[in-house]
Parts: sequence; C-alpha cells; structure tokens
Amino acid sequence: MFTFVIGGAASGKSEYAESVVLGLPGRRVYLAAMRPVDQECRERIEKHRRARRHKGFETVERYTDLAGLQGLEGANLLLECLSNLTANELYDPEGGGVEAVLWGVDSLLARCGHLTVVSNEVFSGGGSWEAGTRAYLWTLAKVNRTLAARADRVAEVVCGLPNVLKGGAFP
Amino acid sequence: MIFVTGPLYAGKRTYIAQALGLSREELAERAVWDVQDLARSAPDLRALAEDLARREIVIATEVGGGVVPLDPAERAEREAAGRLSCLLAERADIVIRVCCGLPQVLKGELPC
Repeated sequence: MFTFVIGGAASGKSEYAESVVLGLPGRRVYLAAMRPVDQECRERIEKHRRARRHKGFETVERYTDLAGLQGLEGANLLLECLSNLTANELYDPEGGGVEAVLWGVDSLLARCGHLTVVSNEVFSGGGSWEAGTRAYLWTLAKVNRTLAARADRVAEVVCGLPNVLKGGAFP
Repeated sequence: MIFVTGPLYAGKRTYIAQALGLSREELAERAVWDVQDLARSAPDLRALAEDLARREIVIATEVGGGVVPLDPAERAEREAAGRLSCLLAERADIVIRVCCGLPQVLKGELPC
C-alpha cells in the first residue's frame, strides 16, 4: 500500500502521516530527507524528532539515493519530505535529478511494507518567481502528480484534518 | 464552535452567513475572522486557541500554501498561523473548508 500526503506549512501533515503509519503493525522507519544546513533546520528537525518520540519510529537520515538504502524489507516507511528530497536530488553535487526521486520511490515500494510519503503544498502563492524557482516548482509538482497517480490513497491535510482526494476514507 | 477555513477571498464569511441565515451584523456579533493575523503576535498559541474556541464561529484564511518565504519572520508567521488553525480544528465541533464559495466538511456535519 502507498499513501501520499500533501499539505501547506504547519498544516498538520506530518502528524497526520505519522498517525497513518501508527495504525499499521510492524516495524516503523522514518526516512528524513532534510539536511541540517542551519540552525532553523536543526530546530525543525529537533521539533519533529520530539513529536515522533514514543511513537516507535527508527529514524534514518537520507538526503539522496533512496534506491541505495539497504535493509528496509517489509518495514512501514514514512518518507518526509518530498520537497527536500527533490531539492537535494536536483541541486546536491551527488544528486541524481528527478529520476533519482522517482526511481528511489519505486525501489522502496518494491520492498517495503506500507509506504507513506509526505509532500509540501507550495503551489498556491502564484507563479511569479525567477526561472530557477519556477523550474523547481514544476519538477516538484510533476513528482507529486506522478506519485499521487500511483498511490492507493491520497489526502491533502488542512488544519490537521485529511481532505481525501483518492482512495476513500482512511482507516 | 464552527471553524471555517480556506484560501483568501474564497467566500468563507459569505458561505457561513448564508448557511446559518445570518445578516452581516449578526455575523459580526457571532463570528471572529482573520484570526491568522492574531497568531503572529500571540505569546501562547494554545491560550489563544482556547480563547477563540469559546466563540461560536471562528474564521481563518489559509496562508501556508505558497513558496516558503525567504524572510525568517514571514516563515515564522506562516508557521504560527498554521499551528493555530490545527489547534482550532481540534477544538471545533465542525470544520468547514470553503473553496471558491463551496463548502467541504472536514469534521462534523454541515449546519443546516
């Protein structure tokens, strides 16, 4: 099973995605894609770590190359966040571009139990950005659409509540 | 408490006034709107949410949906506004999201 969750800043998307994984039996692995590049990132990561504490997740930090990750057979995965992963694959020297994101997710789906992917709704602020930002937005939107098309269930989270776009009510 | 959210100019006030059969004046008495602006300067979001939850109708504009702002203060404002909306939705009996004037019930049942 594959669940795709999207939401804006502080929409409650992470907490909601965690609740999806918590409803499943078995091993829970949190795949963290945000690189701790500055103090704000480190604080954000710490906040999320605190929120996950006592929820039984192992945390694996992985900034690029999901396909190269070993030892996730059968585990219920929570990948957060697609906007970071996509930026890393596009702009890091070792990044593999958008193909690495899609291939990486394919590779996880082939071997994990349930996959939950969190993405970021960054598309409601118009399109008057410089070319580089627009290219990034276009790429992330393409990844979102590709994964939402593949997912069994898709929810947009609004103020912590799921607006189900695909797959009926969540258990 | 009924919590109404949705994008800017989506028709949140118009919708809820119509759904409950309220005049503009009645809406002004029974509802509080643009609460996302209160989040910015609130020292304690939870206390603010508790306070607002005592009102009958609370309306917030969604502000977390665009490109993440470069300015840290703007980023923090969006975070606070989003967090406040989550806290209000938790406390609400009914949560409605209005998009281009049309309601979507995220929690509870539509008032009729």
